[in-house]
Amino acid sequence: MIRLLSAVSDARRAGAVRRYLAALFAFALAQGAAYALLVPILRALFAGEPSRAWPWILALGWAAVVCAVLQYTQAVLGFGVGLDLSRALYHRLGDTLAGLPLGWFSTDRTGRLGRMVTQGVTQVMGVPAHLLQPLVTAYVTPAVVVLVTLATDWRLGLALAVGGALLAGTYRIAAGLTGRADRAVDDAGVTAGGRVVEYARAQAVLRAFGRTSGGYAQLDDALRAQHRAGRRLITGTVSGQAMNALAVQATYTAVLVLGVRLALSGTIGAADLVAVLVLATRFTEPLVLAADLGGALRIGANSLRRFADVFATPTMPEPAESAVPGAPTVELRGVAFGYDDRPVLRDVSLTVPAGTMTALVGASGSGKTTVTRLIARFFDVDAGSVLVGGHDVRDLSTEALMGQLSMVFQDVYLFDDTILGNIRVGRPAATDAEVADAARLARVDEIAARLPDGWDTRVGEGGTRLSGGERQRVSIARALLKDAPIVLLDEATAALDARNDAAVSAALRSLAGRRTLLVIAHRLATIAAADQIVFLRDGRIAEVGTHPELLAAGGDYARFWAERNRAGGWRLAGAGER
Amino acid sequence: MSTLPTFDVWRPVRVRLWVAGLLQAVSSAAGLVPYLAVVELARRLLAGGRTGLWTWVLVAAVALAVRAATTGLALTVSHLADADLQYHLRSGIARRLGTVPLGWFTAHTSGEVKKAVQDDVHSMHSLVAHAALDIVAAAVTPVLALGYLFWVDWRMALVTTATLPVYLTVYAVLVGGYQKKMAEMNAAIGRINTAAVEFVSGIAVVKTFGGTRRASSRFAAAADDFADRFRSWVGPMTRWEGAAQTTLMPVTVLTVVLAAGTAMIGSGTLTPANLLPFVLLGLGFGQPLLTLGFGAAALREARAAATRVRTTLDTPPLPVPATPRVPDGHEITFRNVTFGYAADAPVLHDVSLTLRPGTVTALVGPSGSGKSTLARLLPRFFDPDSGTVTLGGVDVRDMDPAELYRHVGLVFQDVQLLRTSVRDNIRLGRPDAADDEVRAAAKAAQIHDRITELPDGYDTVDPVLSGGEAQRVSIARALLADTPVLVLDEATAYADPECEAAVQDALSTLVAGRTVLVIAHRLHTVTGADQIAVLDDGRIVQCGRHPDLLAADGLYRRLWDSLEDR
Repeated sequence: MIRLLSAVSDARRAGAVRRYLAALFAFALAQGAAYALLVPILRALFAGEPSRAWPWILALGWAAVVCAVLQYTQAVLGFGVGLDLSRALYHRLGDTLAGLPLGWFSTDRTGRLGRMVTQGVTQVMGVPAHLLQPLVTAYVTPAVVVLVTLATDWRLGLALAVGGALLAGTYRIAAGLTGRADRAVDDAGVTAGGRVVEYARAQAVLRAFGRTSGGYAQLDDALRAQHRAGRRLITGTVSGQAMNALAVQATYTAVLVLGVRLALSGTIGAADLVAVLVLATRFTEPLVLAADLGGALRIGANSLRRFADVFATPTMPEPAESAVPGAPTVELRGVAFGYDDRPVLRDVSLTVPAGTMTALVGASGSGKTTVTRLIARFFDVDAGSVLVGGHDVRDLSTEALMGQLSMVFQDVYLFDDTILGNIRVGRPAATDAEVADAARLARVDEIAARLPDGWDTRVGEGGTRLSGGERQRVSIARALLKDAPIVLLDEATAALDARNDAAVSAALRSLAGRRTLLVIAHRLATIAAADQIVFLRDGRIAEVGTHPELLAAGGDYARFWAERNRAGGWRLAGAGER
Repeated sequence: MSTLPTFDVWRPVRVRLWVAGLLQAVSSAAGLVPYLAVVELARRLLAGGRTGLWTWVLVAAVALAVRAATTGLALTVSHLADADLQYHLRSGIARRLGTVPLGWFTAHTSGEVKKAVQDDVHSMHSLVAHAALDIVAAAVTPVLALGYLFWVDWRMALVTTATLPVYLTVYAVLVGGYQKKMAEMNAAIGRINTAAVEFVSGIAVVKTFGGTRRASSRFAAAADDFADRFRSWVGPMTRWEGAAQTTLMPVTVLTVVLAAGTAMIGSGTLTPANLLPFVLLGLGFGQPLLTLGFGAAALREARAAATRVRTTLDTPPLPVPATPRVPDGHEITFRNVTFGYAADAPVLHDVSLTLRPGTVTALVGPSGSGKSTLARLLPRFFDPDSGTVTLGGVDVRDMDPAELYRHVGLVFQDVQLLRTSVRDNIRLGRPDAADDEVRAAAKAAQIHDRITELPDGYDTVDPVLSGGEAQRVSIARALLADTPVLVLDEATAYADPECEAAVQDALSTLVAGRTVLVIAHRLHTVTGADQIAVLDDGRIVQCGRHPDLLAADGLYRRLWDSLEDR
């Protein structure tokens, strides 16, 4: 736990954490020492000499003052440490995210990250105050009690020490039991969660095919499995907790039995025995409490671990000094790349000369999107190299590389800002006239006209107030405004919406000849107009050439073209035509 | 038509929670017995007695065993109740969601559904499994212990609890302070959450536009702002709370008890043995309070989750007719239909349209004109605010939903394949379909060859399919279900540009002979339709066949002309 804490906080905070832990330990020690004073006080009282107890009570009073000061100090420090910790977490998260490759930010990851940030930090903030303190007290105070008991009567002390070891053992076993059951429940929860999502997403289909009235068997099964796993967890948790309780109580009973035997055989004085028995209750109480807190502690540790995992993600190596990009060309040299173990691109080489348009064409899954992502350095290649402006992208700083590129990809994120503000992200220094030009070219003016506050309409978190097509038009305007020398564009979703289609056409027309273009092309007009067509098949380049060349070659591309043309003329036949 | 009673979240486990609480009460009481035993042992030992010692050791041992057993039982009962309740609620929510209007799923993402079914239900865990027990323990232990202490010596009992009012007073003042700041604090937490979500989701955009440093410093500033505010609000209170807690510290109470006790023993008004109960039991009064404080946050969250679960369970289901009617034929009419997603913003105004059996009707119009909404009223994603939608002369609201879906099939752009075998996906609408029927449908949908290439053929679970291939599976599904009426999104044909020809051929096979309502995005694909309804701003402005509409001077011709350049 403490290791995790220092893993997620930085060196600057380490001092505060150490001071806090020192106060915590000092408090626990002082508390143990104060309890130890019980022995001489009770001895004096039971011996019928209350006057001899007073000096000890005075000492206890001082000990209580010391405890109070330390308790107060650790509470205040703990609050500060919790706060510092959450602040440090946010800062480090900001720094780490800024350095992670773009490819890391899948929708799935960003979703989880969002949850982690909003829930995890408040959980982490409470860890020192609510959890570390009882835990430290649970270990240190009993240790002091054992020492004092050993000094009073070594046999009883030994019994407590053995009991303590026993307790530590059972605690570990119990934690293991709970942990295993926890994981089983987690797995069942993930499966059931997946089914729930499927059930919600496929609701129209399930219902249309009559599958909800009698219950959806797959979801029912998953929920039942989760239920079973949950019941199994109970055996784990309850037996774990029962083991803890039993061990504590067995120790206490053992001390009781041993003490009475010793008293009966006259080897320990009645006063000493009673003092030790009173001490023994101080010994067990914090332990029981700590066992109860085990679960909460695990939750806190889990959130810490999630942060530590993110911090441990390797960031994209940046060159010490960035190369300066030359003419805006793009080149891939013998590039191989795969996600995990699944190869996507094999030995891909292509050149996009400055000021020309290259169309990437191929079946879905052939690697088109991956090519554009490697150029933007979402990921680094497994073999070969990617050159932008004549330099390997790994020799360019993120800023230098991004300065060369404008991107219009399929998943578009808009900030909860006005439409105008979202376009301006492309180049914050742009004049109003430039923003307006880009917006008009991308047909965003039509969107603004439809909305209540026009250009100043806020688009909602992630742009939810706009349709997918409208979001893409805003992103086209953004890319146009940025006016980078190289443009990477994915036409995919444009095809579904006539206005989007027009926006893409206009954007391409305005950029053609002025900029270096690499387009994942779906529209026949774009493909035919390209200076160069690269046809990808199964992660390899099958054909490269101009439209007439490739048609004449009669290969994959020619077949693709024929098929697409046939599809372009398709229409649904009405009853009157059949 | 009756409205379902609101769901009582607790009812299924109430009795068991009482039982668990009772067991916990026994356990708490038993937990005090060993202390009593130690006191009695001490009394005898200090008096020099030798008899009755083992009896008290036995009493302590038995009490400890009883405590362990009842604690374990109480936890088992409450956790089992919790597991059963979770299952009960989850399947209840799933059942309810199977009956709410389909439109509900448009307004709520699948993530929200998962949160309701999984996370919210899980958040109730601490409420069901622990809270009742904690409260019982926190009440029973101090009450019994105090009773015992007062019985032993009322003056010492007063001394023991002397510091409690100090703490309670400070605590009450603090709680008042917290509540005043609560709204501000929640607002600050909301701000930091927004900043975090936006930073995390938008970072890809930020990076591509070179504003990473700016964005991350904005994010860090939000975090710092929150930390500073939190420190200035809660910091002073933490100091007070820290100071107040020192009055409840076991060491503080011990000092007070021993000082007062020693004084009384000195004056002869207290026997040393009678001091023991206070040293043993008097120190722990603060603990249950602190435990409750720690649990309070979890409890609040659980209660909020319970409210959300209840809201979900209380979502009004799609009304089902008491005496369902059966349609006669497949003619479909929309009569004076008005509908809006929000009460004051109608999307469709007074729309009337008739689909003759066996014909193809296309809905065209600019985006936002309401064509998708109109098409979704037929399969009852929503019910119209006024007007009627009839199938075979029967209002769709008067039909059993199962009967409706036996007549109306859907093929939308957004394909949903379930994580079961390809075979089961295809025969979703007819689970008893024979293998050769499944194969015939797959062949007609031009996907059979692709399926046989899969690792386990038709038995492949969760196969990797391209968008167009998944479309064809969904078309095979519709073919096998063989509904006489079909609502079709034409964009389906373009989901995967690389194999759109194959999808188109499959669609042509599917629509043959059915009554089809197609949402058209491209005009030329529906030029052959028997009827084209042109929508503009929620109204049908033109209706007819392609040549007639093209000849007329209207929106259709303008749309056609604007797209001709492709």
